[in-house]
This record gives sequence, structure tokens and C-alpha cells, in this order.
Amino acid sequence: MNLRKAWVSAIVVAIAVVAAACGGTSSNSDNAANQTGTLTIWLMNGSAPQSVVDGVNADFKAKYPNVTVNVEIQQWGDIGTKLDTGFAGSTPPDVVELGNTLVAKYAAAGALENISGKKSSFDNSGTWLQSLTDSCTVGGKLYCVPYYAGSRAIIYRKDFFASAGVQPPTSMDDLLTVGQKLMAAHSSDPNFSALYFPGKYWYAALPFVWDFGGDIATQSGGKWQGSLSSSSAQQGLTTLSTLVSSLSRADKTGDEAKQDAAFAQGHIAMIVANGWEVGVITDPKAGNPSLAAQLGAFPIPSHNAGQTAPVFLGGSDFGVAAKSQHRDLANQWVALFTGNKYMTQMATTGGVIPNNTSMLNLGTGINAVFYGAAKNSKFVPNSENWASVENANVLPDMLVKIFTKQMPIPDATKAASDRITSILNGGS
Amino acid sequence: MIAPGTTQQGIRLARAETAAGARVGINLRARSGQVLFDALGVAISAVMLFPIYWMVATAFKPGRDILTLEPKWIPSPFTLQNFQDAISRPFFLEDVKNSLLVVGAMLAISLAAAFLAAVGVARFGFKGRTGFIIMIIGVQMVPLNALIIPLYLMLDKLGQTDALPGVIAVYVAVVLPFMVWTLRGFVANIPVELEEAAMLDGCTRLGAFLRITLPLVGPGLVATAVFGFIQAWNEYIIAYVLLSSPGNQTLTVWLASFTTNHGPEWGPLMAAATLTGLPVVAFFLIVQRYLAGGLTAGSVKG
Amino acid sequence: MAATIAAPDLEPALRRRPRPNLLPYALISPSVAVIAGVLAFPLGMLVWLSLQHYGLRELIAHQGDWVGLNNYRAILGDALFRQVLVRSILFTLACVALTLVFSTLIALLLLRLSRPIRIVLMSALVFVWATPVIVTVDIWQWMFDYEFGVINYLLTRLHLGNFVHHNWFDNPLQGFSVIVLIVVWGAIPFVTITLFAGLLQVPSDLIDAAKVDGANSWQAFRFVTAPILKPIFLIVLCLSTIWDFGVFNQIYVLLNQRPSSDYYTMAIYSYRESFGVTQYGLGAAIAVLLVLVLVVVTFFYVRQTLEVGEIAPTAA
Repeated sequence: MNLRKAWVSAIVVAIAVVAAACGGTSSNSDNAANQTGTLTIWLMNGSAPQSVVDGVNADFKAKYPNVTVNVEIQQWGDIGTKLDTGFAGSTPPDVVELGNTLVAKYAAAGALENISGKKSSFDNSGTWLQSLTDSCTVGGKLYCVPYYAGSRAIIYRKDFFASAGVQPPTSMDDLLTVGQKLMAAHSSDPNFSALYFPGKYWYAALPFVWDFGGDIATQSGGKWQGSLSSSSAQQGLTTLSTLVSSLSRADKTGDEAKQDAAFAQGHIAMIVANGWEVGVITDPKAGNPSLAAQLGAFPIPSHNAGQTAPVFLGGSDFGVAAKSQHRDLANQWVALFTGNKYMTQMATTGGVIPNNTSMLNLGTGINAVFYGAAKNSKFVPNSENWASVENANVLPDMLVKIFTKQMPIPDATKAASDRITSILNGGS
Repeated sequence: MIAPGTTQQGIRLARAETAAGARVGINLRARSGQVLFDALGVAISAVMLFPIYWMVATAFKPGRDILTLEPKWIPSPFTLQNFQDAISRPFFLEDVKNSLLVVGAMLAISLAAAFLAAVGVARFGFKGRTGFIIMIIGVQMVPLNALIIPLYLMLDKLGQTDALPGVIAVYVAVVLPFMVWTLRGFVANIPVELEEAAMLDGCTRLGAFLRITLPLVGPGLVATAVFGFIQAWNEYIIAYVLLSSPGNQTLTVWLASFTTNHGPEWGPLMAAATLTGLPVVAFFLIVQRYLAGGLTAGSVKG
Repeated sequence: MAATIAAPDLEPALRRRPRPNLLPYALISPSVAVIAGVLAFPLGMLVWLSLQHYGLRELIAHQGDWVGLNNYRAILGDALFRQVLVRSILFTLACVALTLVFSTLIALLLLRLSRPIRIVLMSALVFVWATPVIVTVDIWQWMFDYEFGVINYLLTRLHLGNFVHHNWFDNPLQGFSVIVLIVVWGAIPFVTITLFAGLLQVPSDLIDAAKVDGANSWQAFRFVTAPILKPIFLIVLCLSTIWDFGVFNQIYVLLNQRPSSDYYTMAIYSYRESFGVTQYGLGAAIAVLLVLVLVVVTFFYVRQTLEVGEIAPTAA
């Protein structure tokens, strides 16, 4: 009889526990409407169209009517300082849009929440673009959610190609040949460049390094080793150097900031560019709208005919501050923003590459080339010290020395490699 | 009896200038000298203004004409599109309001405090004077960039981040040393006999400072006021780091918004920069007549 | 009546009442309150930071690693630091000298101009002064641009050489000449207007009296104007030194926020070693060293300023 009572009690207790658990869950979702608080979101200037932001906030408000969402647009100038102080303060922003090369720095410093356990709660997390996911992963843990990407391809003048009788090249050798024909066709124009390549444009130089199998740095056993001096990297840079000296009249010591304006002036046949640069070139406020019909794009060709070179994937991620008081709400907001509905809008209205491979077919017209290029993309070494490498200008300086023939390629790459090894491992 | 006040000094300046003009009229050689000087003045203005002209001209150019291989000297076609674009940015009016508020408050507080301190240092020897002067000069040598983190952490503890008073306090503290030091030089040039004469007539020491010395350092006040205005009006990094909500930001942040990761939008940026510079020029034109109020000889004679 | 510049006046206080004069303390108290209130903690923290290893992780955790004088040792032992220091001093010298010479000349010119032209020139100076530095540097950068620059275009058209596609920043010496030009251009307005304000305090009858006594313009300047102008001149000289030593934006923005180490001055070096690599302890140490260097460089001016007596001009 005691045993039976115990057995019944056990079942009653079990049922009570289960009921409490179930009751707990259901009372949580009832509580969604009762959740209060203020979410502060930092978005970068120009990243999302206002319609998307408004839509996300409206949907979020419907779900959590008592939560106030403050979206604050941040400027790119001195954003590093702003982020440093923001995270150091007592009330950091709850959600922050971070350039993908900055994430590792803040994740390693303990500023961002580790969301490895919540990955599946975000739409399309299974098909996130690998490079963006890599940018969010530090020490094997996930610290942010991929937001959007940007990739590069070659924008070209269809009319120049037609009159020189050439087609978009399918290999790097072909690129050189095509370029030389274009230079010959415009030999009377002292300002003409078949491929306009400013010396410090390291984002556009990386595909050449990667295509031959080289890389900026590799990590083994927690230590980084700069690898630009490897023979494959050097081969890629040699190919690029030949292209630059034969086909480009751009400033060998300048960067790509004004290349769209230069292109709009009409003395350039090809540039390595981001998808959004098409808009800048044809912008009635800043460029030459009449070029719109003449612009085409093709992916940077590989040295292996028929293939494409891996491109650098730029872009941004969403991080949630570790010190935030509303981490769950913050993650909910991010999930909404990067969810199917609004990610699709970002891809179509926003004109940026969405964060997952299954949506890459949303690119239409000339954008299809850029979205497609994103499939074959790589990222910089995901170290907390990478930002310091960028700040020390190691890559631009190396390229300038190579293109101005100040240093032979083996010496320039060795110096850069050593410097990168030192900085990535915590030195300078 | 000394009668301070700008009207009197304005009259004195006008009289002096007419006298000067009369003297010049008589001497033909001096007259052509005047024309030569004026021409030189115009030439220097043109040279100094050339980059500014470039900025203003660009503000009126359509995008296509901005970055050209052959420079376009005159904006033609002429367009107001860039200005319209610049003004229609969200929160533009709030930013103007906040900038005016910050600068106004900062000028009022700092000019008053600086004048008093300048007088104190220039007229009195007292224990701690050396220490005060060392503080004044030393503080100016510290680069502002280095203080951003400590300032932020301190204001954060006081709950004054994202608040205009915090920014005003920082601006006052940063500009005050310069103002005190510069005004001290101007005060030192005013003969102390003028104040003594006023005190013989019954003024208190402080009264003498306010009635006699203050008007006579008019030029110094103008120079420091314009300096303070410009420092606060154009300051970016402190304003950007301390202020977050869009309703709280200043014009410099608005100016920065014309540069995205796609590069600067040249047309609207130049239009915005032109607009940003106008209030300062306006302020200067208003206060510049007080620059003439410093003719000590005239006031002593009266 | 000759105007004399008197020493700060102790007598009236003693004459009136035999008790310590609180007035000067009252006069300086608002300034002391604000400056100390706002800056004491940050300055203290700056020195404290310079003795710590304080990176991003430490910043977020509000907890640094004490390293004593290691930051200073690291910087002083860095060959780059010494290079940067020498370069900064030479750069400052060039900027200050040119600024003061041009500003004094323009200020003297302002005195001679007819009223409308004077307002034109002063307004021009103010407009230059008023435009934010970030924007003016953008404009100058554009004017010296490799491809789109007006300067290259003009120099070539004026047959002063072939400047087509000339890069002004390839060679640091050329690049620094451009930077000095920009800094001096931006510095002239303030110094000119301040010196002009100072010149206005020179009583015109003193000059007239000197001229009646047979002095020419240069002598009038040297014996009448200059001594009265001297305190203000010293102030702007000292300020220019401090400011030009700390020039940052012009170089940073001109070189697209990526200056090579050939272009480092102390301010850029300080920024790079702090924000650039997120090492606030190191950056603080460099800032402290910067202040110490400035103290040494401006020592003589400062000592003059501390003197209780001022300079009395020779009575006419």
C-alpha cells in the first residue's frame, strides 16, 4: 500500500512538474506582450533602407507592444572610438551593427554575447555565407549574426569592348590580352586605362593571392603565421603586377576612393568594384547616368580558364552587447531583421547581398554577377588583432612598393608577412 | 570723465577715421598708397579664399561636374540640388538647434569666467597665481584625443553621456584656458591708471573692471569669442562620442553623415560645409564692430 | 599723455583695508571650478592609464594591468619615436615661423586698409577659419589630387613643368610642404585677427608722436608698436607652437586615414599607438611624453608669462 501511494504521488508530482513546465512556457509567451524595456540599436549610416528599418520596428512593436526601440544611426568617421566607448560605458547599445572585420576584436575583448547556443533561432543559419559566419566565429564560438555582404567583380564598358572587338575574359591570361587590345584601341588617349587599378586597393589584390592558393596568414596551434611570402601568393601578385603596369594609369600610391568618379569621366574600360558602385557611377547627383546602358559586369577570372577567383566578402554583422540588460529581446530583434521577410527586402530593395546562399538568386540584372561572386568568397584572418594590421597599412604599403617597383616582390611580401605575423600574435 | 560704452567708442572711431581720411585726402601720394594697400588686401583675400571658393562653387555643381579631369571654374549648369539634399537630411533642424544651444551656452559661460580670471591674473599678484597659470598653460598642451576615453568614463559614471550639458561642460573646460591666457594679454595692455581713476570716483575694484576694463578689451573678447564659437561649432569627436540619440546631436555629426563607407557625397558635402560656415561668418560680422572699441588714447583724453 | 603699462597692482588693496584680498581668488574661482571639475579626473586617469597595460578587454572590464614605467620604456626605446619627435619639431618650427611672419604682415596691412576692404579681408579670414578643418582638408586633398587636382592642372598650364598625374605625397618632403601650406593657411586667420586686435590697442597718438619725432614706419613699429604687441605676440607664438605640434587632422585626412610611417608626427603616432591598435595605456604614455616635450619647447615663453612685471614701452 505504501508503495502504491508513493507511486501515485510520484505520478502526481511528475504531472505537476510537467504542468508547471508547460504552464511556464505558455505563460512566457503570454508575457511577451507584457515585456517592457528600451532597446537601443546602432545601425551604420547607409546600410539599410528606411523602409526595412520601419518594417522591422513595426513588426517588433506588434509582438512586444511595451518595448521601445530606439534606432540610432552611427557615422563611419571614428566609429572605432565610438564603439570602444560605447561598449566600455555602463549602458552599451543592445544591438550593434559591426563591420565584419571588426567583430573579432570586440568578441575577443568580451564585448559581445556568445550566441552559439541560439544559432538555430535565426532564419537560414544553416545556409549563412561562410565568410560572414567565419567573421562571427572566434575561438569556435559564435558572437554575431551575419547581416549583409558585399563582393567584388569587374565592371566594364560594353561599348569599349564592342568597338575593340573583345569579350569578357574567362581567365587571367585572357584578361591581359583583352586589356592590351583595349589599350591599343585607345592609344591616342593619354588618360585611358583598360583596367584602372589604384595601388592601395588591397581588397582587389586579394583575389589574385587567393586564386593561386596563397593566403594572408594561417593559424596553427593558436599562433598565426603570415603567408604572403609563399610562392603561390607571390605568383598571384606577380600576375597582378603585370596587369597593373600594362593596363592601368591609376595612381600607384592612391586608393580606390575616387575610382567611380574616374570611371564616370569615360576614360576607363574596367574596374574591380563592389555591386553598389554601379549605382554611384550612374547616380545623377554624383556620376554619369548616361553610362547606365553601357555597364556590364563579369566575375574576376581565375588563372584556370573557366573558373572565377575567390573574392573578399565585405559586409556587416549584428552583435548583441554582453552587458546588455535585454539580451533576449535584442536577439529577437536581430532575428526579425535577418529573418526571411526582411532579408529578402534587403536583397531586392536594399541592393546588398543577403546573408545566406539560398537567397543569392535574388540578384537581378547586373547584380546577379555580384551575388554569384559571393559564392566563392574568402575572409581575412579572423584574429582580434586583424584590425591592427589594417590600421598599420601593411597590405596597402606592400602593394605600393610592388607596383612602384620600389621593392622586388619577394622582399616586399617577406617584409609584409613578417609584420603580419608579429601584429597578429599580439606585437606590433 | 571716462564714459565707457560702445556708442561713445564708435563715435570716437568714426571721428578718428574721418580724421584719418582727411589726412589721406590731402596727401595724393598717400592716396595712391591707399589704393595699393587695398589692392593688396583684395589679392590676399582672393588667395586665402580660393579653396573656400572651390568648396562653394562645387556646392552649386551637379554631380557630373564635380570630379572632372579638367577643372570647371564656374558652376554651370548651376543647381541648388545639393543644398536641398543637405537640408532635407533627417534631424537637420534638431542638429542646428543643438549646435546653437551648445555654442551659446558655452560662450556665455566661458567668456564671463575667462574675463574675470584674466583680470585676476593680470592685475593681482597672489599666492597660487603661478600655480593657476601653470594649470592654464599646461592643460592646453594635452591633446584632446588622449582624453576622450577618460572623459567618457567620467561622464558615464555621472550619467551625463548623451546629454548636452556634458558636452557644454567639456567645451567650456577645453576653451577656457586659452581664453584666460589670451585675454590676460589684452588686459595687461590696459593702463591700470584708468581703473584707479574710476575707483577715485567711487567705483569698487570689481566695478572698475566691469565698467572700464571690459569695454576696452573689446578686441580681445571678439577674437576669443570667435575662436570659442568656431571650436565648439566644428568640434566632432567629443560630440560624436558623447551624444547618441539623433535628437541630441550637433551639426558636426550631420556633416559627417555625408561620408559613408561608399565615400563622400561631394556635392551635398560641400553644400553642407558651406551652410556650416555661414553662422560663424554672420556671428563675426555682428561682433566685428566691437573690434574697433579699443582706442585707449581716446578714452583717456575724454 | 603717455600710456604706461603697470605692474599688477598690489597697492590699492593694501591702501583700502589691511586684510588679505580675496578678490583675485573670487575672480579665478569660476575658471578653476570648471577646469578642475571637468578635467582633473581625466588628466589624472591619463597618467594612471600610462602606467597600465590597457587594451580593449581591459577597457570593457574596467580593469587594467599595472606595468609601471614599461610603456614609457617601450616608447623611448622605439627608434620610430625618436624619428617622429625630430620630425615633429622641425614641422612645428616651419609652420610656426611661416604663420607668424605672414600673420604679422597681414595684420599690419589690415591697419592700413580702407574700411570696406578691411571688412572684406577679415571676413575672408573668418570664413577660412570657420570652415571645419575636416572639410578644408578634403578640399585641399582634392586640389592636390593626382588626377582631378586643380594644382596639377594649373601648374602644367602655366608651363611650370609637367605635373600631369603628379603625386604630391610620394615624396615625404614634398608631401610635408603641402601639409605645411595647408596648416599655415588654416592658422593665419586666427593669428592675424588676434594680432590685429592687439595692434588696435596701440594708441595712434603714440605712433604719431614718434613720427613727428622723425621715426620712419619701421622704427615706429620697432619702438612703439612691437613692445606693446609683445605680450600678445608671445601668446600666439606659444599657442601656435602647441597647436602645430599637435596637428592631426590635416595629415590624417589628407592621407586618407592611412598615413605611412614617413608621415608620422607626434599626434599621429600617439593616435596610431592608442586607437590604432587599441592600446590605451601606450597611447596615454605617448600623450604624457608629448606634453613634457611641449613644456620643454615652450619653457622660455612660459617663464616670461609667469613674470609678475610686464614690459614697459619707452615713453614717447
